[in-house]
Amino acid sequence: MADDLTPRPPPDQPRIGVDEWVASVEGKRERYRGPIGWLRRGWDEAPPGVRLLVFVVPAAIFPLVTTEGNLFRYGLITLLYALLGLGLNVTVGFAGLLDLGYIAFFGFGAYTYGYVASSQTGRHWPPLLAILLAIAVAAAVGLIVGYPSRRLVGDYLAIVTLFFGQAFVVFVNNANRIDFPLIGHADLTGGANGLANIDPIKILGWTVNTTKEYYWFTLGAFLLVMVLLYLVSESRTGRAWKALREDPLAAEVMSMPVNRLKLMAFVFGAAIAGFAGAIYGSVQTGAFPGDYDVGLLITIYAIVILGGAGSLAGVIIGALIVNGVPELLRDANEAEWVFYTTVVLLVLIKIRPWLRLAVVVVGTLAFGFVLHAIADAAFPRWTAGNPGEGALAHWVSHWMLLPTHSTQIANWAYGLLIAAILVLTLLKGWWRTIVMIPTIWLAAFVWENLLVEQTAGATRFLLLGALLVVLMNARPQGLFGTARVEIA
Amino acid sequence: MNWSLFWDLTVSGVTLGSVYALVALGYSMVYGILKLLNFAHGDVYMIGAFVGWFGLHALGGPVSPNAAAWVVIVLMFLVAMVACGGLGVVIERFAYRPLRNAPRIAPLISALGVSFFLQNSALLVFGASFRDYDTFHLIGAKTYNYGDIFLSVPQILTIVSAIGLMIGLTLLVARTKIGKAMRATSFDREAASMMGIDVDRVIASTFFIGSALAGAAGVMFALVFGQIYHFMGFLAGLKGFTAAVIGGIGSIPGAMLGGLLVGLAESYATGYLPQGSTFQNLYVFALLIAIIIIRPSGILGKADVKKV
Amino acid sequence: MRRRATAIAALLALAALAVVAAASAKADRAAAPAAASSADARLISCGNTRTMGVLGPITGPAASLGKLQIDWIKYYISKYNKTHKKGKLRAQYGDTVLGGPGGTAEAVKAAQSMGSNVLGVVGPAGSNEVRATTATLKNAGFAFVSGSATNTELTTDGTRTGFFYRTVPPDSAQGTSVANFINKKLKFKRVYIIDDQEAYSTGLADTVQSKLRSAGVTVTRDGVSQQQSDFSSLIAKIPRDTQLVYLPWQLPPKGKAFGQQLRSAGKGSIVLMGSDGLFDGEFASLGNVYASSFPTSATNPVVKAFKKSHGGDPEYFGAPSFVAAQVVGGAIERACKDGKATRGEVRAQVRKTNLKKTVLGLNVSYNAQGDIKGGQFGIWKANAAGTFNPVS
Repeated sequence: MADDLTPRPPPDQPRIGVDEWVASVEGKRERYRGPIGWLRRGWDEAPPGVRLLVFVVPAAIFPLVTTEGNLFRYGLITLLYALLGLGLNVTVGFAGLLDLGYIAFFGFGAYTYGYVASSQTGRHWPPLLAILLAIAVAAAVGLIVGYPSRRLVGDYLAIVTLFFGQAFVVFVNNANRIDFPLIGHADLTGGANGLANIDPIKILGWTVNTTKEYYWFTLGAFLLVMVLLYLVSESRTGRAWKALREDPLAAEVMSMPVNRLKLMAFVFGAAIAGFAGAIYGSVQTGAFPGDYDVGLLITIYAIVILGGAGSLAGVIIGALIVNGVPELLRDANEAEWVFYTTVVLLVLIKIRPWLRLAVVVVGTLAFGFVLHAIADAAFPRWTAGNPGEGALAHWVSHWMLLPTHSTQIANWAYGLLIAAILVLTLLKGWWRTIVMIPTIWLAAFVWENLLVEQTAGATRFLLLGALLVVLMNARPQGLFGTARVEIA
Repeated sequence: MNWSLFWDLTVSGVTLGSVYALVALGYSMVYGILKLLNFAHGDVYMIGAFVGWFGLHALGGPVSPNAAAWVVIVLMFLVAMVACGGLGVVIERFAYRPLRNAPRIAPLISALGVSFFLQNSALLVFGASFRDYDTFHLIGAKTYNYGDIFLSVPQILTIVSAIGLMIGLTLLVARTKIGKAMRATSFDREAASMMGIDVDRVIASTFFIGSALAGAAGVMFALVFGQIYHFMGFLAGLKGFTAAVIGGIGSIPGAMLGGLLVGLAESYATGYLPQGSTFQNLYVFALLIAIIIIRPSGILGKADVKKV
Repeated sequence: MRRRATAIAALLALAALAVVAAASAKADRAAAPAAASSADARLISCGNTRTMGVLGPITGPAASLGKLQIDWIKYYISKYNKTHKKGKLRAQYGDTVLGGPGGTAEAVKAAQSMGSNVLGVVGPAGSNEVRATTATLKNAGFAFVSGSATNTELTTDGTRTGFFYRTVPPDSAQGTSVANFINKKLKFKRVYIIDDQEAYSTGLADTVQSKLRSAGVTVTRDGVSQQQSDFSSLIAKIPRDTQLVYLPWQLPPKGKAFGQQLRSAGKGSIVLMGSDGLFDGEFASLGNVYASSFPTSATNPVVKAFKKSHGGDPEYFGAPSFVAAQVVGGAIERACKDGKATRGEVRAQVRKTNLKKTVLGLNVSYNAQGDIKGGQFGIWKANAAGTFNPVS
């Protein structure tokens, strides 16, 4: 966290009176403490080209280190989402416009590309030309939607764009049955079945076919857009956008053409979305209506805001987290390890005085073993259930209660656990330490009996949701965002 | 002019509109005080419907309830409203209060996280299958008519309770002390706290009331339309949000009006326009654009006065 | 200057380390090699437990459908394991989140998560999912047998011949039976078709609409969203002299809600017909409704046993998934006779499937495109008590 010249007030009070511009930047940097501080200093001092390399190098090594097809797909989708996030970053992060129909531009890009380059429509334009067309169409639509809306403020823009997005999905879902006034019956989009058999991308003789190759291509495209955006953000327009986001009234007073800037941000974001859409269409070998709906929009928003609106690096981290957490939890065995590692790490990091840490660790283990022993002796049905697969689960089953018909009990335990965690945040001191012991045990109980069965399903999204809440509370400006300071 | 069709459409529009209005009220109240769009609101509505279902079955179930049908329904409403109100307060305390002075977008994502959490918890604990309120057995489907206007019992119930709740809310906001405190806080939070108003308490009350209304809306919807499942909050939240904005977000009468308008617009679009049901979103979109172009802050909204 | 350099080097090293760690942590899962031939030819040791991949909507808006399918698949596996002491089956599940936020990308991710010891795949459930995952599954050499993807083009466009099979007849077969029944048997002239905007639904609706229109029947068409529960305005619009409303929907609770709302609007004289997605006890409880389905029989011992273990609900929607699991499980068993199998062998065995008297009431053997030979739908009618009986 950034230190300031004045001590930090508690989180629910505004930080009044300290002007971020006034506080000396070097002074702030000197105050970074510890190993994390050392890294942050390095990051701040590094020139932008090097910062880019920090992300590019691992991303480039990645395909060489693994032959794991699943990971390629994950990497590819992460890159695409990050690309979309970059575009949304321009609209939301740079210019502060709440565009809730953004995903429709993504769809426009995919459908345009598919319309001119697929076996279903019979047209086979050169893919590069098709991509350019997709970008142009998306930008044009952005202009058409943005122009009447440029005077709308905040939430009204949100509503109008939201419904534009909905209208797009409905249109595209039914466009194979509409009788157009002049053209007559035309199948524009394949309707609910989508535009299938979209051509793969070909550049200079290289046809992009496998997931690995698409990964390379998307990485290249991503880098291109990154560099472009960095240059734009450092330019006059970029600075104007940032001023617009921070205080539109002041920007207007400074004679910046506010409405024109908003429109430009809107169109720019739409163009990037169109580009991403063209790539996505060929990656999925088809454009299907359900892919461009509000659900994905929400995911991209989460990515941008988690990383910090306005920060390019943040988008990448956001994409890695939002896309990665459900992936990591997909397999029950891995999820088991992730869960216990996280719990142990949290306990180790968050509980400061060694004495308390020791009490919690010993107490939880003892609690579990004692309960297990009692249950073994007196209520055998409580330990007769199935442990999971894998070594870790096997060890845990000696420490934990596994009732045979666990569903009802587990459901109630789940509710109890949520209540316990909430109560825990309200307690302080030794009370907190003591209540923590059964809470941790309860968490493991709920995990073993309820959550671990559904790791492929509900659990991972549940945990993602909890993670979002926790992360936002810990760092409201996003991971890489800059803290806002109110000038009262 | 086919009056029968017109009245049928109007009745459906008003019924659905009442549900949307209740959801929109929650959005508007919270926005008025905190300038926060609570995306978890739709899922509170879903939880309300489930709590009502459990309440119904705790009282014996729709086929052979332990008490008279009307008593059962009132109890269902009460339980759902209290439970959802409590849930709203808890959500506010843990997901939004720490972010009260953060940039406006941060609580949005926190709300999103809460929404994911609630939806998937419901999926985990309640299962994926649809659950039925079985209103037919509970209160029957008798229809009353006045000329060409046909109203079924669940529809009457919905409209009457919605009106009742809205009147109650208006009286609360206009006549009681806590209502006055709410109005003051939404006007200027800092000045209100300087006047000795416990802002935290006022915000918690706002969330309680807004969420209770959402819970009531959930039970109402399920009584009229039958089925509940973990994903039902999504569409209701979206429509409620739209209604709140059309009516002027931050304004309570605006939310009521907006809800009615959206419900009626959907109904008429479906009934009168070609392939109206498929494209109803498109038609409502056109209506929205029209309204916002004519009145950019929504119908009853106040243009935000920016203080420099 | 040096401090800066070391800081950067440290950052790079950290990042690289993180990537390598993540990559090597998953080393136990499948590689998806570019050439299908190497995946085809790779020997997977059969051992005592064989793995079958299952792709379906475990979460998301279609989770209720996924549950029906997975219940039946789990039932098959438990039955199989009871009768096979050596060579048991287990399933690896992939959540495709049909209709969810990630769209078809989730389905492809799920497909790609299938491990290196998976021999064959049951699913995916949705027709668009099949399209999106074809490249991945073909590259991995899998045979994938779907219990619910009915879109006709899936087997006629030639892109997945030899890999994709299904245990439900295609929309063209169902649409034809339905249209013929409405036109020739019921002899109706005014029909309303309402789709639910999903690919399965619009495909069927289009087929039935065009066949009926070419037979001179007046057809009005409209649609609802799968999330919608309020049909009152649409019902108000349906003219009272309509003779039949056809609902090619997937969610029986929605069908039931529609029927109830139709009746309480006083239009109960209009005949209601659903597609095979509505062939379920919930829809039947309305009484006097039609639905199309394959010729299952409630007296089939497998169906009865399933009903008993599932609280009395036969959950017919999932029955084709049972047969799909039978097809894949049987193919795996035959390919594993010599202790080792390749995915190519499993595909060849799926092609040779010959199941007699499945729970679908059909014999299952495949034509070259991947459809069941002689597969067809029949029309059933639910009596006032809520049980379906065949009428054609």
